[in-house]
Amino acid sequence: MTPTRIAIAAALASALTLPAVAQAQAQAQAQGRMPVEKCFGVSKAGQNDCQTDTSSCAGTSKKDNQPDAWIAVPKGTCQKIVGGVVKG
Amino acid sequence: MTLALREWQAAFVADLAGGGGEARLAIHRHHIQRSLAKALAMTFPTVHALVGADFFRQIAGIFVTRELPTQPVLAEYGAQFADFLAAEEAMHGLPYLADVARLDWALNVAFYSPRPSAADLTGLSPEVLLSKVLTLAPGAELIRSRYPLDRIWTASQPGAAEGEVDLAKGPTCLLVLPAGFVRLDEGEAAFVASIAEGHTLEAAAVAGFTAESNFGLAGCFGRLLGCEAFAALQQ
Amino acid sequence: MNAPAGIGLRAPHLAEIDRDRPALGLLEIHAENYLLPSPSFAAMERVRADYRFSVHAVGLSLGAVDGLDAAHLARVAALVKRLQPDLVSDHLSWSTHGGRYFNDLLPLPYTEEALDVVVRNVDRLQEALGRQISIENPSCYLAIAHSTMSEPEFLSQLAKRSGCGLLLDANNIHVTAHNLSIDPARWLDGLPAAAITEYHLAGHAVNEVEGGTILIDDHGSRVGDPVWGLFSQCVERFGPRPTVIEWDTDIPALPVLLDEARRASVLLAAGGRHDARAA
Repeated sequence: MTPTRIAIAAALASALTLPAVAQAQAQAQAQGRMPVEKCFGVSKAGQNDCQTDTSSCAGTSKKDNQPDAWIAVPKGTCQKIVGGVVKG
Repeated sequence: MTLALREWQAAFVADLAGGGGEARLAIHRHHIQRSLAKALAMTFPTVHALVGADFFRQIAGIFVTRELPTQPVLAEYGAQFADFLAAEEAMHGLPYLADVARLDWALNVAFYSPRPSAADLTGLSPEVLLSKVLTLAPGAELIRSRYPLDRIWTASQPGAAEGEVDLAKGPTCLLVLPAGFVRLDEGEAAFVASIAEGHTLEAAAVAGFTAESNFGLAGCFGRLLGCEAFAALQQ
Repeated sequence: MNAPAGIGLRAPHLAEIDRDRPALGLLEIHAENYLLPSPSFAAMERVRADYRFSVHAVGLSLGAVDGLDAAHLARVAALVKRLQPDLVSDHLSWSTHGGRYFNDLLPLPYTEEALDVVVRNVDRLQEALGRQISIENPSCYLAIAHSTMSEPEFLSQLAKRSGCGLLLDANNIHVTAHNLSIDPARWLDGLPAAAITEYHLAGHAVNEVEGGTILIDDHGSRVGDPVWGLFSQCVERFGPRPTVIEWDTDIPALPVLLDEARRASVLLAAGGRHDARAA
């Protein structure tokens, strides 16, 4: 059941009066779940550069216009992901 | 006879795409593929971790041949990568991969969003709060998935603990913000979605309680304020 | 003041440079990495206040027949206005065609028509920025049969007609000269010393292919001895200029780059007449 207007107003207002500590904790909790800042830090910007890829030279002999051999299987942390989805 | 530059560049581009031209053109062809795949790996680090570097290079290379960037800022390249992974599930066989790509993309967008000061609601009366319309922080996005996206993300971080993630531990709703992402329950998600649609806090709260009778409004709202989830108020 | 030597600012070093402010004569960023707001941008801007600065664009596509992309030009212009760098540059190449961006410094045929196109684009860029920009010689892998002039001739004409500066990349000269069988010393002949505003230095990879070797401009190692030699010739011939060490592949710890910059600095101070290997 939806609370009354007064109850909603009181709940919203009480969030504003959360002590600074509690808000900081909320923030820490959010960052603990997903620290964007800590993950990327300031060192994320860098997609653009101006070198030539080291391995670009592969394929300069005439016959070698084939793409790299197909590696059929994803092999990374997906090996930690198990189970299926319960159809809902 | 000398080709005019326009035709010459068009022919060059056609040779790049078609595998024609002289042998050394392959240096440029490979560089374009590899460098753009590398840029995608930076934008989609969780997808990269999940499938591994070799598989990522291969699948990103296919995406690159279909969707070249339309402008030079590579941090903005890859908006269609999640849709590509969803459409090409047969290539990788990971049903959750496209949703992970959506999360990576949203984190990328949030990272490259302006960070104006957050909303300061101090001193507003309960009555004013009820009718307040808030705006989510720039770059904020709500992501819903039938999979436990947050657990998959955590397990894919460098140095993550061993241990398995059970796919059945979904669904999840995540609010991606410049400061991080938070997992929301059904009530919280409905509250945020309603705010995002431009409704008042009162209407959003009602949406929250409608979705989840145990919705913890005060805690949720406080936590969102603590995460700087809302942009400063327009006066 | 001596010509400063510095490094290309790369993301893995940004936090360290922001914290420690190492002694460096110059920092250079890639414009395209800083066109969006982010914590990285904020750190870069803090750092900018303490160093001489260069904005090196990689995506303006100055050789594109369709002209410059107005939206990209506006973003680069806003960055330059905000940072007020000492130097601004991009490459003698093209990377866009038909609304697609190829993320490569593609080669131009050096013809009168191409010169007209590049001059027009450089004029527009300099007008939009309200300042001189410098154009860098690219690394070439392909000999383009219908070029009617040499690369240095093309660059000289470009500088003369547009008033742009020239950024000489000694590694690119070496790579191009090797790949296209040109004498690198002769490549330097006839370049206008007064137009040269900056030097770049970097490492390259040597790749064995059928019938010889191709050098790849991978910015993935220390500057090689032949490139130091060429740099030394440039400094002797054209004079010292601000010099940047670039490293983009397998980026090492910052001290390695500082060491390369120090070596360049010694050479600049000696007017090139100094054995850099002993420095």
